[in-house]
Amino acid sequence: MMNTPFFELRNITKYFSKVVANKDVSFSIEKGEVLALLGENGAGKSTTMKILYGLYRADSGEIIMEGVERKINSPKDAMALGISMIQQHFSLVPAHTVTENIILGNVHGRIDRKGCEREIGELARTYGFDIDPKALVKDLSVGVQQKVEILKALYLKARLLIMDEPTAVLTPQESENLMQFVHEFTAHGNSVIIITHKLKEVMAVADRIVVMRNGEVHGDLKCSDTDEKELSRLMIGRDLIPSKRAEDDESADNHEVRLEFDNTSVVERDQVPRLKDISFSIHRGEIFGIAGVSGNGQQELCEVICGALSPSSGRILLDGEDITRLTIRERIDRGIGYVPADRHKDGLVMDMSLAENMMLKASYGKKWMHHGLLDTNALNNYTNTLIKEYEIKAPGPEAIAKGLSGGNQQKVIVAREVDNGSKLIIFDQPTRGLDLGAIDYVHKTIFAERAKGKSILLISTDLSEIFTLSNRIAVLYKGVIQGIFKRSELTTEKIGLLMAGYDVNKGCTDER
Amino acid sequence: MNAKMRDLLVTNFLAIFLGLTASALMILFLGKNPNDAFGILFSSMFRDKYTFAEIFVKATPLIFAALSFAFTFKANLYNIGAQGQFYIGALIATASSLFLQGRMPGPLALVIIFMLTLIGGGIWGSFIGFVKAKYNANEFLVSMMSTYVALAIMNYLLRTVLMETKHEYPQTNALDTQVWLPSFIQGTRLHIGFILAVAVAIGVWILLYKTTLGYRIRVVGYNSDAARMSGIDANRLYVVAFFISGALAAMAGFTEVNGVQHMLLQGFNPDIGAAGLGIAILANANPIGIIFAAILFGALNVGGTIMGQMSGIPSSIIELMQGFVMVFVILSYFVRSELETRRAKRMLAVEND
Repeated sequence: MMNTPFFELRNITKYFSKVVANKDVSFSIEKGEVLALLGENGAGKSTTMKILYGLYRADSGEIIMEGVERKINSPKDAMALGISMIQQHFSLVPAHTVTENIILGNVHGRIDRKGCEREIGELARTYGFDIDPKALVKDLSVGVQQKVEILKALYLKARLLIMDEPTAVLTPQESENLMQFVHEFTAHGNSVIIITHKLKEVMAVADRIVVMRNGEVHGDLKCSDTDEKELSRLMIGRDLIPSKRAEDDESADNHEVRLEFDNTSVVERDQVPRLKDISFSIHRGEIFGIAGVSGNGQQELCEVICGALSPSSGRILLDGEDITRLTIRERIDRGIGYVPADRHKDGLVMDMSLAENMMLKASYGKKWMHHGLLDTNALNNYTNTLIKEYEIKAPGPEAIAKGLSGGNQQKVIVAREVDNGSKLIIFDQPTRGLDLGAIDYVHKTIFAERAKGKSILLISTDLSEIFTLSNRIAVLYKGVIQGIFKRSELTTEKIGLLMAGYDVNKGCTDER
Repeated sequence: MNAKMRDLLVTNFLAIFLGLTASALMILFLGKNPNDAFGILFSSMFRDKYTFAEIFVKATPLIFAALSFAFTFKANLYNIGAQGQFYIGALIATASSLFLQGRMPGPLALVIIFMLTLIGGGIWGSFIGFVKAKYNANEFLVSMMSTYVALAIMNYLLRTVLMETKHEYPQTNALDTQVWLPSFIQGTRLHIGFILAVAVAIGVWILLYKTTLGYRIRVVGYNSDAARMSGIDANRLYVVAFFISGALAAMAGFTEVNGVQHMLLQGFNPDIGAAGLGIAILANANPIGIIFAAILFGALNVGGTIMGQMSGIPSSIIELMQGFVMVFVILSYFVRSELETRRAKRMLAVEND
């Protein structure tokens, strides 16, 4: 068995218009093995897997299955060979039921709905998934939706399951369940490839690890022969000096209050509240972290502060001034910066240059005007200084934003918002999808801005980030704050329970 | 000359050439000799001063109509009501000319007529932006339908208050020479409206790329979510963008009435809006590119009419020709981006070796 691997990639090379995504990538996966594909964002992990799954075509190289070369030109070809891939963004139809989603594309003619539902129900039970085949996908939580995706792969009799960042959207408990499934699935002689950049996860679940960097394979190791330190070095090509933990200066409490939420709710008529009775305050020079699974009111919280969403009741105060009814522009003028979670949608104009993106929030001011016209030179010079200061990898201020990597795009937004937010900066998922170098940079920037006396609201689903940076931590679940804690009062387990809606002392608080 | 500029010129000329070749095939199907037809087409344009100047006369309203479409297009909005805005402009220009002529010096009257046309066309256009902002009405449909309303208003007025003194035809009295746009080349119809059109095109470019208003309009067009998060009021900009767009199309009415026809009559220039749209696409909505694309269309119009008279080929073949040229120019965008990609790959390969 060891001499003919299940699948083998040989010298896969793939160019995207301007970048090498994969260069001579070769590795193999055995039957019954869990392979982790580890690397920073942009290292070429997803591209390699999309080639294996037939979504992209390699410019050169071969795919070999059990010793025979195969051409995979579409996901259909891949599925025929027993390969299934679960994308980072699920490909489910929200308005359809679980069954309809699973049989989509695999039935012809008249559909025996009852039969299919029974079959899928049985399949779910075999793997211990608690899923109602008749439920609508839009009513399911993200964790369950992922199970539906897995079920879809099982229904297609997949023997190689590829999962792209599967735990990014899960609570710690859900992740553990997923890992259990992976072990069970591979115990039957099937194989799993997990694309990830989380080292802990890799060490916990993988048998073998392939490390990628800059589109090339930089290590192919047995899990038992390596450790996190070696992996992280292979991944980023140098030793990482972790940013210093926030000092536990309790004195932040004594500073003046900067932002205050006073019983703020967002309720649309007859709907479940999106935010309910939110009350907290952030002091000067404090980093206030909000933990929680995404979709529990984080976006609404940000929008209420920056003015895109008006609360149905309650007040918001900035330095004692009631800003509840102010427009977005008035709040920007008062020094609120906002680094949004969805940077492509809310943060950048992808088709414009970096310089033009820099003046996004200053277009009403006189700052970039000269004799009534835009002072392109001054704007370009300013952008150039920021490019240098933030080490943004870009050809220059005239470069178009969409040509930059995710990390560099984020640096552009951070640079702009740090400048805009003279009093308060909201960071919503500031490091999601960034590589370790960029994450480190963003963290350092956050600390530096705090040291200047600015207040920081940090929203993140990454617990280690919340723990590293925050002075105080609040947990948000279904629009309600489950509690506000000093960092030292929380453990990962406790916060995991809070994030899942359990009151640590009283049990489940979810009454709906 | 850098590679990008070279690509631009080469592909565009190639596109025009292929467009003409395809049209030549169609002429062949008609049983005529395409060589003769093209010979007439090109030689006729240059046969005398008057005909040559006529190219620019025809290009003038096309520039305005194309700018009208291009301007809202930059805000990711579709104004396909340029025809109606053109009629409204023509109506206001005619009515105010008839009223003001003889009451004040010509140049002063022209300035006032120009201003009234601009404001009236702008208000007519901004209605589309207003209903979009207020009721989220689809600007595509509203602008399209507004053309029929404008047409009906024009026909109504031409049969009532604006009808000529003899009450025979649905047309207005002729304007006094006093309020004609003066011609600047003796013995031709070429009037200063053409210079105005070129100046306005440059003005539109400056507005879009050198002012904060234009910047905001483009931001809203590219990404209205990011615009909103940055405190930019997209709804207000919709109204402003359609005001400017409507005013641009109305200006074509002003130059046609005061510069060429010197009266308003029913069924007047019914293709300005559609041609403007095509030209804007041809020029990739670039205001400066529009000047050249409009001149190309003007030339084909003038040459085609004469070709129709002299060779017995229906002059409608010109519209076919314009269609083919447009298709190939649009294809050339993709060719250019492919060339760009390949160049980048080559550079990358060199770097990696």
